[in-house]
Amino acid sequence: MTFRDIPDLALEDLDRDGAIREAADGLPRSSRGGFLKVVAGGIAGAAALGRPTGARAALAKGDIAILNYALTLEYLQDAFYTEAERKGALSGPPARLTEVVGAVERAHVHALRDVLGTRAVARPFFDFRGVTERPPSFVRTAVAFEDLGTAAYKGQAHLIQSPQVLAAAVGIHSVEARHAAWIRYIAGTLPAAEAFDQAKSRPETLSLVRSTRFVVARPRTKAAKKPAFTG
Amino acid sequence: MAGFTGLESVDDPASRDRFLTRALVAGGTLLAGGALLAGLPRLAASAQSPAQDAEIFNFALGLEHVQAAFYREAADQAELDGDLLEFARVVAEHEREHVGYLQEALGGSAAAEPETFFGAATTDPDAFAEAAITLEDLAVAAYNGQAANLTKGGLRAAATIISVDARHAAWIRAIVGRPAASQPVDQPLSRAEVEAKLDESGFLREA
Repeated sequence: MTFRDIPDLALEDLDRDGAIREAADGLPRSSRGGFLKVVAGGIAGAAALGRPTGARAALAKGDIAILNYALTLEYLQDAFYTEAERKGALSGPPARLTEVVGAVERAHVHALRDVLGTRAVARPFFDFRGVTERPPSFVRTAVAFEDLGTAAYKGQAHLIQSPQVLAAAVGIHSVEARHAAWIRYIAGTLPAAEAFDQAKSRPETLSLVRSTRFVVARPRTKAAKKPAFTG
Repeated sequence: MAGFTGLESVDDPASRDRFLTRALVAGGTLLAGGALLAGLPRLAASAQSPAQDAEIFNFALGLEHVQAAFYREAADQAELDGDLLEFARVVAEHEREHVGYLQEALGGSAAAEPETFFGAATTDPDAFAEAAITLEDLAVAAYNGQAANLTKGGLRAAATIISVDARHAAWIRAIVGRPAASQPVDQPLSRAEVEAKLDESGFLREA
């Protein structure tokens, strides 16, 4: 068996509709960089502190890092859909998708946290800066997130050691692809644009996520003013 | 579509999907995390080798042949219209490329194309959608079920196809107005399970 080489994606290939770029355009740069610190710190901390107990002892260090990477992307998706649902500015097909996909992404977060136990990376803070309230931006960003999630899982599958972790990862990978196709259909763009989907490496994915500046070091809401009413 | 119950019980897809959505949304998660992942069937992991890759990809090639023939027939007959015809045409090309890719990788050991029979499934909109959903879900479950048996290179190659078939499965659901992805994790199927479902479909002439 020989396989043709599979080239890695360029950012432009993944961000076909420019959603990630658009989302990042014209926004303050202050929060840039917070994300990688959060992730890198979390993964390093998880590896250092991980005192395996019970069934979780079987996880290899590399698998823990992959699971935490996946968890980080799931946190991002979870936060995005959960906020969109809470804000209630969507209607019709995007609202329906948000309800279903949001629940699935929350289930992914829950499942990955459960597998990782105390070694799970902490949930970062997010600031979507109104994208979840503007239907066209929401749809384009969701397309980018789901295409990214699919490419990111695809980039990890062959690096996973545990057959159980692999079973989970491939089962989630194809669900992310289903989400991507669904939201693309809603967006009026081809749900499956190519015969082959390309993978994205971890550094490429994280740098792309960082470029959105959706991940912030601290919650945006500050208690700058005293609450008007504290009853 | 007599005798074609396939992967899903679709007596009333709309109410089933509503139920799933309610179940998912209630409490925020469908399943406790542990159950979600630990509940997956254990993938039969055997020692990976290029020879085993070839065997698995010949199995996959059989599925891709059936898909390619199905969409080619639908696109050629062109009795479908609108979104369904566009879907058939685009996906026919993808499946053709999947077949070509696997044939190239397998070289002289590539299995021959099986004889297929689709009846009204390539012309009747409802039957077409039902068959497409079954074939795409089956391909995803088949590849996912072999993930642990493939070499690293084989897995990387398969993964580029798996998500495209998953996109097709969601796309056709979106066209016919069904939630396109209600399950948190796609369940894998063993080779024997896949072959049994393919037999059930009645699409293989010689089966």
